[in-house]
Amino acid sequence: MNLILSDRPLHLPEIDRGSTKFIDLSALRIANCVGCFGCWTKTPGKCVIRDDAVKVYPCIAQSERVLYVSRVKYGSYDTTMKTMLERAIPVQQAFIRLLHGETHHVQRNVRPKQAVIVGYGDLSGEEKDIFRRLVARNANNMNFTDWRVVFASEQEVEQTVREEVLAWGKSCC
Amino acid sequence: MGKIMLLNASPRAPKSNSKQYAAMFASVCPAETAYFAVTKNNHSELCRAMEGFSDVLLVFPLYADGLPVTLMHFLKTLEQNAPEHKPRISVLINCGFMEPEQNDIAVQMLRLYCRENGYPFGSVLEIGSGEAILATPFRVFVRAKMKKLAAAIVAGKAQTWKVTMPISKRMFLRASTSYWTNYGKRNGITKEQMATMQIEQ
Repeated sequence: MNLILSDRPLHLPEIDRGSTKFIDLSALRIANCVGCFGCWTKTPGKCVIRDDAVKVYPCIAQSERVLYVSRVKYGSYDTTMKTMLERAIPVQQAFIRLLHGETHHVQRNVRPKQAVIVGYGDLSGEEKDIFRRLVARNANNMNFTDWRVVFASEQEVEQTVREEVLAWGKSCC
Repeated sequence: MGKIMLLNASPRAPKSNSKQYAAMFASVCPAETAYFAVTKNNHSELCRAMEGFSDVLLVFPLYADGLPVTLMHFLKTLEQNAPEHKPRISVLINCGFMEPEQNDIAVQMLRLYCRENGYPFGSVLEIGSGEAILATPFRVFVRAKMKKLAAAIVAGKAQTWKVTMPISKRMFLRASTSYWTNYGKRNGITKEQMATMQIEQ
């Protein structure tokens, strides 16, 4: 499965709905993670907050390709996307393993995935650099086998996503 | 000597490790400190309170490799409600991983924020194995670094320290497995249940 996870509505008539799921986070009700560790130590694999996030993180786990679309703020995903990524920790175990010589959480059934991250906004070079390094760190904790970061202005974001989706279609054939 | 605002931006502030780290800092700091926690509804109040302090120490955990959303929401409010006299901002960050370097990017985000918004940036203490280290004899290493952090903030210096458990990674894996297994046991959950590969099933 392919997953497009966006912090804003996008008009994407060209996506193949059979193989690609589009989730607009701005249309969902997702509370902040409260750091209770319930998803690790009380109801393993399930968040104790039963809002829309519980429909999203299983999709993240099952996807072989993901395309995340997020405004960038302070070199981070802005709060809509960041809230969801923080709520996705039920896909990991509490237990720690070594990965590339560093300590990281053990993943549950999370498919290895190719990731394209579209970061948008009016960004400085330093902000882009921090965001690239953030995504590189995410790769270790989100099971990315390879990843690319693409930057776009707010006006260009929909077109940028379309081009990435079209590239997915080409790589399938 | 200035006054230091200790601002806990952990999503679980009342029961957080960050609260304990803030308390440890207060206990070793020669200057006057006051503790606050970021909640959903007190951002404006905190921005106003900031006016009375020479320094702010942000205390928070690493979340998904970056700043927790709780802190990001507050920073957005602060952008719109900046105090007239901007305090120096220092950072006390902890992560559950062994390597304190995993906190580096969150610190870079705050450096960027401070530069773009006109806040002087102060000193940093990055803590690895931060979920458990306070419950071990290694807390003395944290306390020693905390004293240095406090002295640097009082002196208006910009320095960075890192601290973690002084053990091998293999030993850390064993210790963390034991820590989390006991955590689950207290909730009536076995190690095998915690290690389920199922998600939402």
